[in-house]
Amino acid sequence: MTPEEKYELFEKHCSQELSINEKARLTKLLQDDDVLKEELKMYQEAHSHLDRRFNSEKEQATLKKNLESIGSQFFSKQENNEKTKKEVNQEIKEKSKVIKMPSWVYAVAASVAIIIGAYFFNQNDPVYHDYADIPKLSIVERGGQEESIKNAEKAFNSKNYVVAEKYLSALLSNDKNNSEYQFYYAVSLLEQNKHIEATQAFKMLHQGKSVYKHKALWFEALNQLKQKRYDQCSKLLKKLPKEAEDYNNAQKLLKKLN
Amino acid sequence: MGNIKPHTDQKYIEALLKNDSLLLKEIYEKFAPKVINYIKSNTGDDQSAQDIIQETLITIYKQAKEKGLQLTCPFDAYFFLLCKRKWLNELKKSAKKEVTINEEIVSVNDESVRFVEETEIFNAKHELFTEMFDQLGKACKELLKTTFMIKSMEEVASKLGKSYGYIRKKKSLCIGQLTKLVQNSPKYNQIQNLL
Repeated sequence: MTPEEKYELFEKHCSQELSINEKARLTKLLQDDDVLKEELKMYQEAHSHLDRRFNSEKEQATLKKNLESIGSQFFSKQENNEKTKKEVNQEIKEKSKVIKMPSWVYAVAASVAIIIGAYFFNQNDPVYHDYADIPKLSIVERGGQEESIKNAEKAFNSKNYVVAEKYLSALLSNDKNNSEYQFYYAVSLLEQNKHIEATQAFKMLHQGKSVYKHKALWFEALNQLKQKRYDQCSKLLKKLPKEAEDYNNAQKLLKKLN
Repeated sequence: MGNIKPHTDQKYIEALLKNDSLLLKEIYEKFAPKVINYIKSNTGDDQSAQDIIQETLITIYKQAKEKGLQLTCPFDAYFFLLCKRKWLNELKKSAKKEVTINEEIVSVNDESVRFVEETEIFNAKHELFTEMFDQLGKACKELLKTTFMIKSMEEVASKLGKSYGYIRKKKSLCIGQLTKLVQNSPKYNQIQNLL
Protein backbone atom coordinates (compact mmCIF):
# COMPACT_ATOMS: atom_id res chain seq x y z
CA MET A 1 0.00 0.00 0.00
CA THR A 2 1.40 3.40 -0.92
CA PRO A 3 1.40 6.23 1.65
CA GLU A 4 -1.17 7.99 -0.55
CA GLU A 5 -3.56 5.07 -0.29
CA LYS A 6 -2.91 4.73 3.40
CA TYR A 7 -3.66 8.36 4.22
CA GLU A 8 -6.73 8.38 2.04
CA LEU A 9 -8.02 5.35 3.90
CA PHE A 10 -7.29 7.10 7.20
CA GLU A 11 -9.07 10.23 6.06
CA LYS A 12 -12.14 8.29 5.00
CA HIS A 13 -12.05 6.51 8.35
CA CYS A 14 -12.01 9.86 10.22
CA SER A 15 -14.80 11.35 8.19
CA GLN A 16 -16.76 8.08 8.20
CA GLU A 17 -16.74 7.70 4.47
CA LEU A 18 -15.36 4.17 4.23
CA SER A 19 -17.28 1.75 2.05
CA ILE A 20 -17.97 -1.71 3.46
CA ASN A 21 -15.11 -3.15 1.45
CA GLU A 22 -12.66 -0.47 2.54
CA LYS A 23 -13.68 -0.92 6.15
CA ALA A 24 -12.98 -4.63 5.96
CA ARG A 25 -9.66 -3.92 4.31
CA LEU A 26 -8.57 -1.45 6.97
CA THR A 27 -9.61 -3.75 9.81
CA LYS A 28 -7.62 -6.56 8.25
CA LEU A 29 -4.57 -4.38 7.72
CA LEU A 30 -4.67 -3.15 11.29
CA GLN A 31 -4.99 -6.60 12.76
CA ASP A 32 -1.36 -7.49 13.14
CA ASP A 33 0.29 -4.20 12.37
CA ASP A 34 1.13 -2.18 15.47
CA VAL A 35 2.99 0.45 13.49
CA LEU A 36 -0.04 1.07 11.31
CA LYS A 37 -2.27 1.18 14.37
CA GLU A 38 0.00 3.82 15.88
CA GLU A 39 -0.05 5.78 12.62
CA LEU A 40 -3.81 5.74 12.48
CA LYS A 41 -4.04 6.91 16.06
CA MET A 42 -1.71 9.75 15.27
CA TYR A 43 -3.71 10.64 12.17
CA GLN A 44 -6.89 10.77 14.22
CA GLU A 45 -5.23 12.98 16.77
CA ALA A 46 -4.00 15.38 14.12
CA HIS A 47 -7.47 15.37 12.58
CA SER A 48 -9.25 16.24 15.80
CA HIS A 49 -6.58 18.77 16.71
CA LEU A 50 -7.05 20.64 13.44
CA ASP A 51 -10.80 20.41 13.67
CA ARG A 52 -10.87 21.99 17.12
CA ARG A 53 -8.22 24.49 16.29
CA PHE A 54 -9.98 25.96 13.31
CA ASN A 55 -13.43 25.74 14.73
CA SER A 56 -12.95 27.08 18.22
CA GLU A 57 -10.46 29.85 17.57
CA LYS A 58 -13.06 32.55 18.00
CA GLU A 59 -14.61 30.96 21.04
CA GLN A 60 -11.21 30.65 22.66
CA ALA A 61 -10.40 34.30 21.97
CA THR A 62 -13.67 35.37 23.59
CA LEU A 63 -12.96 33.25 26.65
CA LYS A 64 -9.46 34.65 26.91
CA LYS A 65 -10.71 38.20 26.82
CA ASN A 66 -13.27 37.47 29.49
CA LEU A 67 -10.67 35.80 31.71
CA GLU A 68 -8.42 38.80 31.28
CA SER A 69 -11.10 41.16 32.50
CA ILE A 70 -12.21 38.91 35.37
CA GLY A 71 -8.58 38.34 36.35
CA SER A 72 -7.70 42.03 36.30
CA GLN A 73 -10.72 42.86 38.38
CA PHE A 74 -9.89 40.15 40.85
CA PHE A 75 -6.29 41.24 41.17
CA SER A 76 -7.04 44.93 41.54
CA LYS A 77 -9.59 44.13 44.20
CA GLN A 78 -6.98 42.10 46.05
CA GLU A 79 -4.53 44.95 45.84
CA ASN A 80 -7.11 47.34 47.25
CA ASN A 81 -7.86 44.95 50.10
CA GLU A 82 -4.20 44.77 50.94
CA LYS A 83 -3.89 48.51 50.86
CA THR A 84 -6.89 48.95 53.11
CA LYS A 85 -5.46 46.42 55.50
CA LYS A 86 -2.20 48.32 55.60
CA GLU A 87 -3.98 51.62 56.11
CA VAL A 88 -6.04 50.19 58.91
CA ASN A 89 -2.94 48.81 60.58
CA GLN A 90 -1.28 52.16 60.26
CA GLU A 91 -4.29 53.83 61.79
CA ILE A 92 -4.36 51.43 64.67
CA LYS A 93 -0.70 52.09 65.29
CA GLU A 94 -1.24 55.80 65.28
CA LYS A 95 -4.22 55.55 67.54
CA SER A 96 -2.41 53.41 70.04
CA LYS A 97 0.03 56.18 70.73
CA VAL A 98 -1.61 57.55 73.84
CA ILE A 99 -1.37 61.27 74.23
CA LYS A 100 -2.37 63.02 77.36
CA MET A 101 -4.80 65.78 76.58
CA PRO A 102 -5.85 68.64 78.77
CA SER A 103 -9.33 68.18 80.12
CA TRP A 104 -10.89 71.04 78.17
CA VAL A 105 -10.15 69.11 75.01
CA TYR A 106 -12.58 66.46 76.16
CA ALA A 107 -15.23 69.05 76.65
CA VAL A 108 -14.75 70.40 73.16
CA ALA A 109 -14.63 66.91 71.73
CA ALA A 110 -17.84 66.01 73.51
CA SER A 111 -19.66 69.03 72.21
CA VAL A 112 -18.41 68.40 68.71
CA ALA A 113 -19.68 64.86 69.05
CA ILE A 114 -23.07 66.13 70.10
CA ILE A 115 -23.22 68.51 67.18
CA ILE A 116 -22.24 65.78 64.75
CA GLY A 117 -24.70 63.41 66.37
CA ALA A 118 -27.48 65.91 66.09
CA TYR A 119 -26.61 66.50 62.48
CA PHE A 120 -26.85 62.86 61.58
CA PHE A 121 -29.84 62.32 63.78
CA ASN A 122 -31.80 64.81 61.79
CA GLN A 123 -30.99 63.01 58.61
CA ASN A 124 -33.62 60.34 58.64
CA ASP A 125 -33.37 59.17 55.11
CA PRO A 126 -30.35 57.32 53.84
CA VAL A 127 -28.61 59.06 50.97
CA TYR A 128 -26.95 57.86 47.84
CA HIS A 129 -23.48 59.03 48.78
CA ASP A 130 -23.38 56.94 51.94
CA TYR A 131 -23.74 53.80 49.89
CA ALA A 132 -22.27 54.42 46.48
CA ASP A 133 -18.80 53.03 46.58
CA ILE A 134 -17.64 53.60 43.04
CA PRO A 135 -15.05 51.09 41.95
CA LYS A 136 -11.96 52.26 40.10
CA LEU A 137 -11.90 51.62 36.40
CA SER A 138 -8.82 49.75 35.25
CA ILE A 139 -9.04 48.70 31.64
CA VAL A 140 -5.66 49.78 30.36
CA GLU A 141 -3.94 46.60 29.26
CA ARG A 142 -0.26 45.97 29.23
CA GLY A 143 1.19 46.27 25.78
CA GLY A 144 -1.48 47.59 23.45
CA GLN A 145 -2.28 50.95 25.00
CA GLU A 146 -5.11 52.45 23.12
CA GLU A 147 -5.42 56.18 23.64
CA SER A 148 -9.19 56.23 24.15
CA ILE A 149 -8.98 53.47 26.76
CA LYS A 150 -6.39 55.42 28.70
CA ASN A 151 -8.45 58.59 28.47
CA ALA A 152 -11.61 56.83 29.62
CA GLU A 153 -9.82 55.39 32.61
CA LYS A 154 -8.22 58.70 33.54
CA ALA A 155 -11.45 60.66 33.28
CA PHE A 156 -13.49 58.11 35.21
CA ASN A 157 -11.03 57.72 38.03
CA SER A 158 -10.69 61.47 38.43
CA LYS A 159 -14.49 61.67 38.65
CA ASN A 160 -14.81 63.62 35.45
CA TYR A 161 -17.89 61.70 34.43
CA VAL A 162 -18.93 63.95 31.56
CA VAL A 163 -15.69 63.16 29.73
CA ALA A 164 -15.72 59.54 30.86
CA GLU A 165 -19.18 59.10 29.38
CA LYS A 166 -17.94 60.41 26.06
CA TYR A 167 -14.93 58.09 25.88
CA LEU A 168 -16.80 55.05 27.11
CA SER A 169 -19.57 55.62 24.63
CA ALA A 170 -16.97 55.77 21.85
CA LEU A 171 -15.36 52.54 23.09
CA LEU A 172 -18.77 50.89 23.19
CA SER A 173 -19.49 51.81 19.62
CA ASN A 174 -16.63 49.53 18.61
CA ASP A 175 -17.22 46.86 21.20
CA LYS A 176 -20.83 47.06 22.17
CA ASN A 177 -20.93 43.80 24.13
CA ASN A 178 -18.08 44.71 26.45
CA SER A 179 -19.75 44.50 29.85
CA GLU A 180 -16.98 46.38 31.60
CA TYR A 181 -17.44 49.42 29.36
CA GLN A 182 -21.20 49.09 29.76
CA PHE A 183 -21.00 49.12 33.53
CA TYR A 184 -18.70 52.10 33.85
CA TYR A 185 -20.68 53.92 31.21
CA ALA A 186 -23.81 53.41 33.27
CA VAL A 187 -22.09 54.62 36.43
CA SER A 188 -20.92 57.73 34.58
CA LEU A 189 -24.53 58.42 33.63
CA LEU A 190 -25.71 57.87 37.18
CA GLU A 191 -23.12 60.24 38.57
CA GLN A 192 -24.39 62.92 36.22
CA ASN A 193 -27.97 62.29 37.36
CA LYS A 194 -28.96 61.02 33.94
CA HIS A 195 -31.26 58.65 35.74
CA ILE A 196 -33.34 57.29 32.92
CA GLU A 197 -30.43 56.48 30.68
CA ALA A 198 -28.59 54.93 33.61
CA THR A 199 -31.60 52.73 34.36
CA GLN A 200 -31.62 51.46 30.80
CA ALA A 201 -27.94 50.61 30.90
CA PHE A 202 -28.07 48.88 34.30
CA LYS A 203 -31.13 46.91 33.27
CA MET A 204 -29.40 45.58 30.20
CA LEU A 205 -26.39 44.51 32.23
CA HIS A 206 -28.56 42.91 34.85
CA GLN A 207 -30.37 40.85 32.25
CA GLY A 208 -27.07 39.65 30.79
CA LYS A 209 -24.73 37.03 32.15
CA SER A 210 -21.62 39.09 32.76
CA VAL A 211 -19.76 39.56 36.04
CA TYR A 212 -21.60 42.85 36.42
CA LYS A 213 -25.00 41.16 36.66
CA HIS A 214 -25.42 41.74 40.40
CA LYS A 215 -23.41 44.95 40.56
CA ALA A 216 -25.76 46.46 38.00
CA LEU A 217 -28.78 45.62 40.15
CA TRP A 218 -27.15 47.16 43.23
CA PHE A 219 -26.29 50.34 41.36
CA GLU A 220 -29.75 50.56 39.85
CA ALA A 221 -31.11 50.43 43.40
CA LEU A 222 -28.75 53.30 44.26
CA ASN A 223 -29.99 55.11 41.19
CA GLN A 224 -33.51 54.91 42.63
CA LEU A 225 -32.24 55.99 46.04
CA LYS A 226 -30.62 59.04 44.52
CA GLN A 227 -34.01 59.99 43.11
CA LYS A 228 -35.54 59.39 46.57
CA ARG A 229 -37.77 56.69 45.14
CA TYR A 230 -37.44 54.56 48.25
CA ASP A 231 -40.08 51.95 47.41
CA GLN A 232 -38.53 51.27 44.07
CA CYS A 233 -35.12 51.06 45.72
CA SER A 234 -36.26 48.52 48.35
CA LYS A 235 -37.87 46.40 45.70
CA LEU A 236 -34.63 46.13 43.78
CA LEU A 237 -32.54 45.53 46.89
CA LYS A 238 -34.67 42.56 47.81
CA LYS A 239 -33.84 40.97 44.49
CA LEU A 240 -30.11 40.94 45.18
CA PRO A 241 -29.03 37.34 45.83
CA LYS A 242 -26.89 36.30 48.79
CA GLU A 243 -23.82 35.61 46.67
CA ALA A 244 -23.72 39.19 45.40
CA GLU A 245 -20.76 41.22 46.56
CA ASP A 246 -22.99 44.03 47.79
CA TYR A 247 -25.48 41.82 49.59
CA ASN A 248 -24.49 43.03 53.07
CA ASN A 249 -24.63 46.66 52.09
CA ALA A 250 -28.01 46.05 50.53
CA GLN A 251 -29.31 44.55 53.76
CA LYS A 252 -28.06 47.55 55.74
CA LEU A 253 -29.71 49.94 53.36
CA LEU A 254 -32.95 47.95 53.45
CA LYS A 255 -33.03 48.21 57.24
CA LYS A 256 -32.68 51.97 57.02
CA LEU A 257 -35.39 52.25 54.43
CA ASN A 258 -37.91 50.29 56.46
CA MET B 1 -13.62 5.93 32.74
CA GLY B 2 -16.78 6.13 30.68
CA ASN B 3 -19.36 5.47 33.33
CA ILE B 4 -17.70 7.03 36.36
CA LYS B 5 -19.74 9.93 37.64
CA PRO B 6 -17.97 13.26 37.24
CA HIS B 7 -17.10 15.27 40.33
CA THR B 8 -19.42 18.17 41.22
CA ASP B 9 -16.53 20.47 40.37
CA GLN B 10 -17.08 19.48 36.76
CA LYS B 11 -19.21 22.64 36.75
CA TYR B 12 -16.02 24.69 36.54
CA ILE B 13 -14.99 22.82 33.41
CA GLU B 14 -18.42 23.47 31.93
CA ALA B 15 -18.08 27.14 32.90
CA LEU B 16 -14.94 27.39 30.79
CA LEU B 17 -16.71 25.76 27.86
CA LYS B 18 -19.71 28.05 28.19
CA ASN B 19 -17.74 31.17 29.12
CA ASP B 20 -19.99 31.54 32.17
CA SER B 21 -18.74 34.73 33.82
CA LEU B 22 -20.31 34.20 37.21
CA LEU B 23 -18.71 30.80 37.69
CA LEU B 24 -15.42 31.97 36.20
CA LYS B 25 -15.37 34.72 38.78
CA GLU B 26 -15.97 32.09 41.42
CA ILE B 27 -12.94 30.16 40.17
CA TYR B 28 -10.77 33.20 40.81
CA GLU B 29 -12.27 33.86 44.20
CA LYS B 30 -12.09 30.31 45.40
CA PHE B 31 -8.94 28.94 43.86
CA ALA B 32 -6.66 31.81 42.89
CA PRO B 33 -5.51 32.95 46.36
CA LYS B 34 -3.65 29.68 46.98
CA VAL B 35 -1.90 29.92 43.63
CA ILE B 36 -0.98 33.57 44.14
CA ASN B 37 0.40 32.75 47.53
CA TYR B 38 2.54 29.99 46.12
CA ILE B 39 3.87 32.01 43.19
CA LYS B 40 4.60 35.02 45.35
CA SER B 41 6.56 32.98 47.83
CA ASN B 42 8.58 31.61 44.94
CA THR B 43 10.01 34.78 43.37
CA GLY B 44 6.87 35.65 41.41
CA ASP B 45 4.56 38.66 41.62
CA ASP B 46 0.87 39.42 41.05
CA GLN B 47 1.41 39.81 37.34
CA SER B 48 3.05 36.42 36.88
CA ALA B 49 0.34 34.85 39.01
CA GLN B 50 -2.36 36.39 36.86
CA ASP B 51 -0.67 35.10 33.70
CA ILE B 52 -0.14 31.59 35.01
CA ILE B 53 -3.74 31.33 36.20
CA GLN B 54 -5.09 32.51 32.88
CA GLU B 55 -2.87 30.24 30.80
CA THR B 56 -3.79 27.26 32.94
CA LEU B 57 -7.49 27.94 32.53
CA ILE B 58 -7.08 28.18 28.77
CA THR B 59 -5.20 24.87 28.71
CA ILE B 60 -8.00 23.21 30.66
CA TYR B 61 -10.53 24.70 28.26
CA LYS B 62 -8.65 23.32 25.25
CA GLN B 63 -8.49 19.86 26.72
CA ALA B 64 -12.15 19.93 27.66
CA LYS B 65 -13.06 21.08 24.18
CA GLU B 66 -10.93 18.58 22.32
CA LYS B 67 -11.02 15.56 24.57
CA GLY B 68 -14.10 16.10 26.70
CA LEU B 69 -12.34 16.33 30.06
CA GLN B 70 -14.39 14.70 32.84
CA LEU B 71 -13.09 15.53 36.30
CA THR B 72 -13.51 12.83 38.90
CA CYS B 73 -11.38 14.68 41.44
CA PRO B 74 -11.77 18.09 43.09
CA PHE B 75 -10.89 21.07 40.94
CA ASP B 76 -8.84 22.61 43.74
CA ALA B 77 -5.93 20.18 43.80
CA TYR B 78 -5.94 19.69 40.04
CA PHE B 79 -5.85 23.40 39.30
CA PHE B 80 -3.30 24.24 41.97
CA LEU B 81 -0.91 21.52 40.84
CA LEU B 82 -1.19 22.57 37.20
CA CYS B 83 -0.45 26.19 38.05
CA LYS B 84 2.38 25.24 40.33
CA ARG B 85 4.09 23.04 37.77
CA LYS B 86 3.62 25.62 35.07
CA TRP B 87 5.26 28.21 37.29
CA LEU B 88 8.19 25.91 38.09
CA ASN B 89 8.66 25.38 34.36
CA GLU B 90 8.70 29.13 33.81
CA LEU B 91 11.35 29.51 36.47
CA LYS B 92 13.46 26.82 34.86
CA LYS B 93 13.08 28.47 31.47
CA SER B 94 14.14 31.86 32.70
CA ALA B 95 17.20 30.18 34.23
CA LYS B 96 16.57 31.50 37.67
CA LYS B 97 17.99 28.23 38.80
CA GLU B 98 19.31 29.48 42.09
CA VAL B 99 15.80 29.96 43.42
CA THR B 100 14.90 27.96 46.41
CA ILE B 101 11.49 26.51 46.06
CA ASN B 102 9.35 26.95 49.10
CA GLU B 103 7.41 23.77 49.15
CA GLU B 104 3.99 23.97 50.54
CA ILE B 105 2.49 20.81 51.75
CA VAL B 106 -0.65 20.15 49.80
CA SER B 107 -2.63 17.05 50.19
CA VAL B 108 -2.57 15.54 46.77
CA ASN B 109 -4.15 12.26 45.92
CA ASP B 110 -3.13 10.01 43.10
CA GLU B 111 -6.20 10.84 41.12
CA SER B 112 -5.50 14.54 40.87
CA VAL B 113 -1.91 13.78 39.88
CA ARG B 114 -3.22 11.54 37.13
CA PHE B 115 -5.46 14.34 35.83
CA VAL B 116 -2.64 16.84 36.02
CA GLU B 117 -0.38 14.58 34.01
CA GLU B 118 -3.04 13.96 31.42
CA THR B 119 -3.53 17.67 31.00
CA GLU B 120 0.20 18.30 30.75
CA ILE B 121 0.63 15.63 28.08
CA PHE B 122 -2.35 17.00 26.22
CA ASN B 123 -0.88 20.48 26.35
CA ALA B 124 2.56 19.38 25.24
CA LYS B 125 1.06 17.53 22.26
CA HIS B 126 -1.13 20.45 21.42
CA GLU B 127 1.86 22.77 21.33
CA LEU B 128 3.82 20.31 19.24
CA PHE B 129 1.01 20.01 16.70
CA THR B 130 0.79 23.77 16.48
CA GLU B 131 4.53 24.10 16.03
CA MET B 132 4.70 21.44 13.32
CA PHE B 133 1.68 22.81 11.51
CA ASP B 134 3.66 26.00 10.98
CA GLN B 135 6.34 23.98 9.25
CA LEU B 136 3.96 22.70 6.59
CA GLY B 137 4.04 24.31 3.17
CA LYS B 138 1.77 27.23 2.46
CA ALA B 139 -0.51 25.22 0.19
CA CYS B 140 -1.10 22.56 2.83
CA LYS B 141 -1.74 25.10 5.56
CA GLU B 142 -4.33 26.85 3.49
CA LEU B 143 -6.01 23.71 2.29
CA LEU B 144 -6.30 22.36 5.83
CA LYS B 145 -7.62 25.61 7.13
CA THR B 146 -10.27 25.76 4.43
CA THR B 147 -11.34 22.13 4.67
CA PHE B 148 -11.72 22.28 8.44
CA MET B 149 -13.45 25.61 8.57
CA ILE B 150 -15.91 24.88 5.81
CA LYS B 151 -17.48 21.67 6.94
CA SER B 152 -18.83 20.57 3.62
CA MET B 153 -16.14 19.11 1.41
CA GLU B 154 -18.37 19.55 -1.61
CA GLU B 155 -18.42 23.26 -0.93
CA VAL B 156 -14.63 23.37 -0.64
CA ALA B 157 -14.29 21.44 -3.86
CA SER B 158 -16.53 23.76 -5.81
CA LYS B 159 -14.88 26.79 -4.25
CA LEU B 160 -11.45 25.63 -5.36
CA GLY B 161 -12.69 24.32 -8.67
CA LYS B 162 -11.48 20.77 -8.05
CA SER B 163 -13.20 17.44 -7.61
CA TYR B 164 -14.25 16.15 -4.21
CA GLY B 165 -11.96 13.14 -4.44
CA TYR B 166 -8.98 15.29 -5.35
CA ILE B 167 -9.49 17.61 -2.34
CA ARG B 168 -9.90 14.69 0.04
CA LYS B 169 -6.72 13.09 -1.26
CA LYS B 170 -4.77 16.36 -0.87
CA LYS B 171 -6.15 16.89 2.58
CA SER B 172 -5.18 13.39 3.68
CA LEU B 173 -1.64 13.86 2.35
CA CYS B 174 -1.26 17.12 4.25
CA ILE B 175 -2.46 15.57 7.49
CA GLY B 176 -0.16 12.61 6.82
CA GLN B 177 2.73 14.99 6.42
CA LEU B 178 1.83 16.70 9.66
CA THR B 179 1.81 13.39 11.53
CA LYS B 180 5.24 12.53 10.14
CA LEU B 181 6.65 15.89 11.24
CA VAL B 182 5.26 15.35 14.72
CA GLN B 183 6.51 11.77 14.99
CA ASN B 184 9.99 12.69 13.83
CA SER B 185 10.35 15.54 16.25
CA PRO B 186 12.57 14.89 19.28
CA LYS B 187 9.92 16.50 21.46
CA TYR B 188 7.52 13.75 20.48
CA ASN B 189 9.72 11.12 22.07
CA GLN B 190 9.94 13.19 25.20
CA ILE B 191 6.17 13.28 25.39
CA GLN B 192 5.90 9.56 24.73
CA ASN B 193 8.28 8.96 27.59
CA LEU B 194 5.96 10.85 29.89
CA LEU B 195 3.15 8.41 29.17
